[in-house]
Amino acid sequence: MVKPLHRKLIRDIARHKPQFIAITLTIFLGVAIFGAAFDSYTNLVASYDQTAVNYRFANLTIAGGDTETIAAFAGSDPAVESVEIRTTADVPLRVDDTKLLGRAISVPAGDQPMVNQLEIMTGSYPANGDANVVLVEDHMASHFDLAPGDSLDILIGDTWQHVTVGGVALSPEYIWPARNRQELLTTPDNFGVVFVSEELAEQITGEGPNEVAVYYAAGESDEEVSAALSAEGRELGATNIYTREEQASNNALTEDVKGLEEMAIFFPMMFLAAAGLAAYVMLSRLVHSQRPHIGTFLANGFTRRQVLVHYLGYGIVPGLIGSIPGAIVGVLLARTITRLYTGILSIPLTVVDFYPTTLIAAIVFGLVASLLAALAPALVASRVVPAEAMRGETPSGGGRRSLLERVFPPLRKVPAAWRMTFRGVGRNPRRTIYTIIGVVLSLMLVLVSWGLIDTTRHLMDRQFIEIQREDATVYFAGPTATEDVAALVDIDGISSAEPALTMPVAISANEAHYETALTVLQDDTEMHRFANVDGGWIDLPSNGVVLGQATRDLLDIKVGDTVAMTVAEGDTIRPIVAAFVDEPLGTMAYVGRAHAEALTGSALPATSALISYDEGVDAKVLRNTITDIPRVAAFEDAQVLFDLMQRFMVLFYAFVGVMLVFGGAMAFALIFNAMSVNIAERTREVATLLAVGTERRSISRYITAENMLVAAMGIPLGLIIGTLAAGAALSSFNSDLFTFKLHIQPTTYLFASLAILAVALISQIPGLRAIRRISIPQVVKERSA
Amino acid sequence: MTIKMTGVWKTFGEGHTAVHALQNIDLANPQGEFTTILGPSGSGKTTLLNLVGAIDDATEGHIEVAGVDLAGLSVDELVKYRRENVGFVFQFFNLIPTLTALENVELVADLTASNGAERAAEVLDRVGLGDRMTHFPAQLSGGEQQRVAIARALVKEPPILLCDEPTGELDFETGRMVLDLLQRVSRELSQTVLLVTHNAAIGDMADRVLKLRSGEIVEDVHNDTPIDATELTW
Repeated sequence: MVKPLHRKLIRDIARHKPQFIAITLTIFLGVAIFGAAFDSYTNLVASYDQTAVNYRFANLTIAGGDTETIAAFAGSDPAVESVEIRTTADVPLRVDDTKLLGRAISVPAGDQPMVNQLEIMTGSYPANGDANVVLVEDHMASHFDLAPGDSLDILIGDTWQHVTVGGVALSPEYIWPARNRQELLTTPDNFGVVFVSEELAEQITGEGPNEVAVYYAAGESDEEVSAALSAEGRELGATNIYTREEQASNNALTEDVKGLEEMAIFFPMMFLAAAGLAAYVMLSRLVHSQRPHIGTFLANGFTRRQVLVHYLGYGIVPGLIGSIPGAIVGVLLARTITRLYTGILSIPLTVVDFYPTTLIAAIVFGLVASLLAALAPALVASRVVPAEAMRGETPSGGGRRSLLERVFPPLRKVPAAWRMTFRGVGRNPRRTIYTIIGVVLSLMLVLVSWGLIDTTRHLMDRQFIEIQREDATVYFAGPTATEDVAALVDIDGISSAEPALTMPVAISANEAHYETALTVLQDDTEMHRFANVDGGWIDLPSNGVVLGQATRDLLDIKVGDTVAMTVAEGDTIRPIVAAFVDEPLGTMAYVGRAHAEALTGSALPATSALISYDEGVDAKVLRNTITDIPRVAAFEDAQVLFDLMQRFMVLFYAFVGVMLVFGGAMAFALIFNAMSVNIAERTREVATLLAVGTERRSISRYITAENMLVAAMGIPLGLIIGTLAAGAALSSFNSDLFTFKLHIQPTTYLFASLAILAVALISQIPGLRAIRRISIPQVVKERSA
Repeated sequence: MTIKMTGVWKTFGEGHTAVHALQNIDLANPQGEFTTILGPSGSGKTTLLNLVGAIDDATEGHIEVAGVDLAGLSVDELVKYRRENVGFVFQFFNLIPTLTALENVELVADLTASNGAERAAEVLDRVGLGDRMTHFPAQLSGGEQQRVAIARALVKEPPILLCDEPTGELDFETGRMVLDLLQRVSRELSQTVLLVTHNAAIGDMADRVLKLRSGEIVEDVHNDTPIDATELTW
């Protein structure tokens, strides 16, 4: 048997159905996003971890130096489970007519390596004696449509060697196909990985193994072991050392998943705060309007605790109805998101688990938010003085001139109806503040999402249009004389060509090390611009190196300091730091050719040419012409890379689209509740105005104006706080590989503001329709509205 | 302005839950007549007032004001009728709390006059609130609030004044003062007044006293010697 008080609760909720639905929906969304994002994050981390363990993903990779001795040292460490020596070489590959600068990695014949094992998707692992049989990494195989039995060419010396595809493989090192940490984005036409026999690898490099991959006991990371092995590796001449966490593919994926973790906290917090505010506003009004009933309850012997519990019920009901299905939907959605994600990225292992703690936490979050919202009104209800409450209407409070009228005295002359509108804004300051907070929260949600798009687009324009000025990069098969680069301008369609020499380098200072790429550019280069950290553009200095700004903190250095730069062959130069540059992608090192030659004491060749096109040139035709040149290993059109990145943006747009819809729903729920209460509170005034002959549309206009004024008041604050929140959200993605500086377009601010105003306008429609249904005789006779 | 009701019924609800708030009312009020309507709660007093004020409509019958059948008016015409012909005074004042006394009156004055503020000030002065114009409702006593409400009703100089328990929330002295005000002004403006009250004593100041019970007129008495409101006691 339902108790009368419970019946009252149910009927009250039914009477305020739209408002309760709005609150419940907001809680549902917040809880569902939390469940989906948090479980997806947990599943993906588990998938990566499981992949790392199953495929014995290296905990540490040491390239260069005395490989044998480094491997022996690593093997002697009890914390190390396996050590693999291998050869890795960046080498020109040719598939049909397409040349690309690929990578060949040796694997033992017959048996999987002990570290960085492969998942054979099709075909089979090469057997002993199959020196000319290679495995092609999955991304490359997909792009070139390679299958077992097909063939491709590897440039060995000056000869293209024909090899057969034995199978297609997935590698934990190339789940995200990146050449290195500094080049996380490459076009599939310009990068691919093949796994070759040790014998073939030696032919490619002309020397023995050059890399040690180390796997720790149970695959667990161990900073101390990594530090000790890295130190020894450097002693023994290693030039590039990176942990699993720093490994290019893993690093890219981890950064990406970090976004989900952020999302699992930030967005649900916003939604639950919005739901809480909406519930608070509505319940405060409910308690106020039920004061005579509360007084009657208390006068008839109900305890204050009973009243408190009763009104807390108004929070518990939407809390439970919103959070239980929300949590279930979120957890189920996480399974789909995880599978989609691992499917798109071809992660070999997908872990999809049920985490009861997420489910419980999601429900608790939703419930706590709505309970907290109900607590203050419920406490007010429990503290009502019965005699006072039953006397009827509570004092209406002192009126006063609005701030607007005080600031702009001419406004005191506008018709009284409009003065009523201005004063309505300050009539219930607390509700006005909560409506403003609702607008602020909505704008935060919109700006954080939209800011991500604007910033990424700006970042791409800055990197690929303002900083990198070349139209294409031509990669040579080996060191090439600068004169040969200059000769490229003789080719039809090329207006200018500059030599560039890029090599891996380890920069050391103050006992800290940073591995990156050093590019030697023409002194008066027009292919690359340098953005000083202070904001201006600078020329390539004639003395010293230019470093990416992240090195400043990583190596604790400043302009004028001397750094040690060790190149792949083990040679070290000691230039001074001439400037730090602000580049969105990567942390690179640049030096002018004359200064580099002075530092090394020899004329330096080029490994690539940066070229610009003649106007109207057909890039595809030019690509074919250039890649026909024997010494050219690959050709990368900047526009293709740019377009590739633009394609990734589609995902962003989808994400922002969803967030905008959610943000709109949240704004609607909040503003709708505030507006409904606003209108409900003045029902008697509206009825009085109607009785004296004011038109309903005039009243609707005054109320709309008042509510829009409140919403508009929230906009400037929302834009400021939204911008700060977007900046904070983006800064969490900053690393030495990405520098996200918030950039929001003025049009974004404009559209976000207009969108909020539109939502505010739409959310009033139900309330304004209610004005049309007001029964004047009934209302004017009631003691309290 | 004359008011004429013929065979007026007002029914709330349907079928077995139907309640007849007014039953077959026939009534004619000549211009300038001050009528009090007496009766217990639920007798239909307020409903009758609401029908004349066109804030509610009759289920059956005709209500003519100055020869115009209210049932034949469109929504916009009803708004115009209320705006130009009817002044309401409510038991609970129904003032806008965010507007001052002057602004509350001005709000209504603006509906019919271009010099709303001036008119509002004049009327407030007339009801004795010349020095309280800038006060907000919460800063006024109950009697003062009701005088503002009367000023609001009078500012349009409506030919019909409908007062629903105007003294219901007031003490004796204040109530009598309010009634005196209503009597004086309505005489000056020759207004047709319908005043609903529980208080039988107020009938002594009226030209006519109607008694309602269960939606029917049970007594209709003309008073040829109405007394001044100041002489009322209860």
